[in-house]
Amino acid sequence: MNRMELQKRIFAYSAVIPVVLIFAFLRVIPIFQNFLYSFFNSTVVDPMQEFIRLENYQELLKDNLFLLSLKNTTLFALFVTVFSVGLALLVAVLLATRTKLGGLFETLYFLPVITPMVPVAVVWKWIYDPTYGLLNYFLSLFGIKPLGWLVYPDLAIWAIIIMSVWKVIGYNMIIFLVGIRDIPDSYLEAATIDGGNKFQVFRFIILPLLKPILLFVTIISTINAYNVFTQVFIMTSGPQGAPGNAVRTLVFDIYENAFRYFKTGYAAAEAVVLFLIVLLLTLIQLRTGGKEK
Amino acid sequence: MKRTLKWMAIVTMVVLMVPALLMAGGGKEAKPTGPVKLSLWGGFPEMEAFYKYAAEEYRKTHPNVEFTILTHPLREFEQKLSATIPSNTAADIIEISMYANQKFIEAGLIPELPPKVKEYFLAPSRFSEFVKKNNTYKDKLYGLPIFQGRTALFWNKKMFQEAGLSGPPKTLSEMAQYAKKLAKYDANGNLTRSGHSLRLSGQGSGVAEKFWFILYPMGGSILEESKEKGKYHAGYNSDAGRRALKYYIDALYVDKWDSHAIKHDADAFELELTAMFFRESWVIGDIAKKAPSLSYDTAPVPADVRWGRITNPVNLYVTRSCKNPDVAWDFAMFLNEEKNLVWLLDNVGWLPVRQDINLDSVLAKKPQFKAFVMSDPKYEEFGYTVIAAFDEIMTKLAERLVAAFLDKSLANNPAGIAKVIQDAANETNEILKKAKLYGE
Repeated sequence: MNRMELQKRIFAYSAVIPVVLIFAFLRVIPIFQNFLYSFFNSTVVDPMQEFIRLENYQELLKDNLFLLSLKNTTLFALFVTVFSVGLALLVAVLLATRTKLGGLFETLYFLPVITPMVPVAVVWKWIYDPTYGLLNYFLSLFGIKPLGWLVYPDLAIWAIIIMSVWKVIGYNMIIFLVGIRDIPDSYLEAATIDGGNKFQVFRFIILPLLKPILLFVTIISTINAYNVFTQVFIMTSGPQGAPGNAVRTLVFDIYENAFRYFKTGYAAAEAVVLFLIVLLLTLIQLRTGGKEK
Repeated sequence: MKRTLKWMAIVTMVVLMVPALLMAGGGKEAKPTGPVKLSLWGGFPEMEAFYKYAAEEYRKTHPNVEFTILTHPLREFEQKLSATIPSNTAADIIEISMYANQKFIEAGLIPELPPKVKEYFLAPSRFSEFVKKNNTYKDKLYGLPIFQGRTALFWNKKMFQEAGLSGPPKTLSEMAQYAKKLAKYDANGNLTRSGHSLRLSGQGSGVAEKFWFILYPMGGSILEESKEKGKYHAGYNSDAGRRALKYYIDALYVDKWDSHAIKHDADAFELELTAMFFRESWVIGDIAKKAPSLSYDTAPVPADVRWGRITNPVNLYVTRSCKNPDVAWDFAMFLNEEKNLVWLLDNVGWLPVRQDINLDSVLAKKPQFKAFVMSDPKYEEFGYTVIAAFDEIMTKLAERLVAAFLDKSLANNPAGIAKVIQDAANETNEILKKAKLYGE
């Protein structure tokens, strides 16, 4: 290795190492610590009070609230991912052709993404208000009687799914839009010359070329959906809030165990399960999505 | 000669230094003369006006003290404390109830009252015996009470008059009858105005607390102390518990004077969407701001086999991280001065805990406070059991109640109601067992 090469390496390492160290300190070490805590009984001051092996995990299997949270989160993640990816793709395809008002529509769809979740959740709570909510008013125009959107368990989970899809659709749309606009025009023109209609162009040209982006968006949406918390927290608070258990999600359950009841070890075990589920789903998606590469 | 002069100089210096040292360390009031910064966090946003007012008043005699006051909604505040108290980064003064702070107290993270404040707290007739007991843990006193959540019944005078009712209900069965009379429905039979707005939903322990308002007069409680001191078991797995749940179920599905699909709580009362509801005194201040023309009054909680109301004192604690605890405690005691507490009741609506102050000037202007301050030997006070596990017990009971209130099949179903109560009590006892606090 000559001197020049050595200097380059020193420069590269000195640039990278601080970032790696900060990342390790803030992200990697806490993940390992979390794994470690999950084998301990904990108190407010001592997260490793007593080593209890796999007891926290055994307890999870018997905990109805955890199992309910897991079921709700999976349902939430499934529908939010399917709808937010599907609708975003549809909107992106419609907006891909540059039109006069295209920019305006892109902005409108993207606005919810940049709006913080807390005010958004509060506004949606008003929209779902049983007496003065906009949604019930709108439905009353069609003769539908007022519904307690955030009160009835069957509706509450859907109310939160609708709001969450609305919130993320713009983000997914922008990524799809970039992907679609990146497809060379010559491909689309060739398909049209060959007699392909709009659906066939989408099905046989756009969709296959968009597959890596579709995979990325699906993975990101799944991870985000499994980590749902803020909207559940806001929408279940107050006397008009949704029944906690009806919309109880994993992160909400983790929060409650960790920060209300101070069962840090137990909450850590829940976090490990959440991590493993998301990891597994991501691997499955990568495997199935990457097959035809 | 030189030697003598040297000794005289030393003795003179020592003589001059002794009073100076005494003044610095043993004076009556340790007043730092340099700038002092104090932060105060609270979980009741409406209290911010009071703290700001009092801070300005305090600064008139203590211009060197600067305040930073921050309030949050209660649940967010509890979350903030969970992160900051163990990490020793909380504010100098925190405002919270004893039961919510208990987990930190048991962990040794909250200092007990210093002797001077303890003396102030224990002064004869200043605070009730109930409050003294509430703030004691292992024979040590924690937190200086400032205001309290006491419950009373709010009732709409205009609606009562229209329904031909002369005054508020005195018993729970009367309350249900009145509620039925006061409820209003549209042409399709949908409830448009509830007779009594019950707490049916929402996260946290609020639903269980409001259930307790009905449970207690019926003879039950959330926890009962066992024969062995300091051990508890569920106090609602009884006829009282089943009757209390039936009261809710009948209201929703049999007599239908309340419904999930209608607005609830203070908002509903202020918008005249309900005729009655239970709440603390802060609602009086809220009504004055949001619905000043509302014709209403308050009344004691109706009785059943016994008569009682919940009392939940909220305290001020000086944290471990406070650099000037003497000044912080001095400010906490200043907040408890009569003129400040009168201002609090008049302007914010929260009821002071001190019982040796004269609130007549406010009661004359706002007679709705009378039901909160009234006392009667038969009107019992009950409150949160001061154990760290109580929050979990209440929150989990609340979740079960919320689910039960949504279950139509419980109408006219005593076996179903008994099962809900039994399952909930089992869970309560299980939590107590894990916390090593269970006793038969």
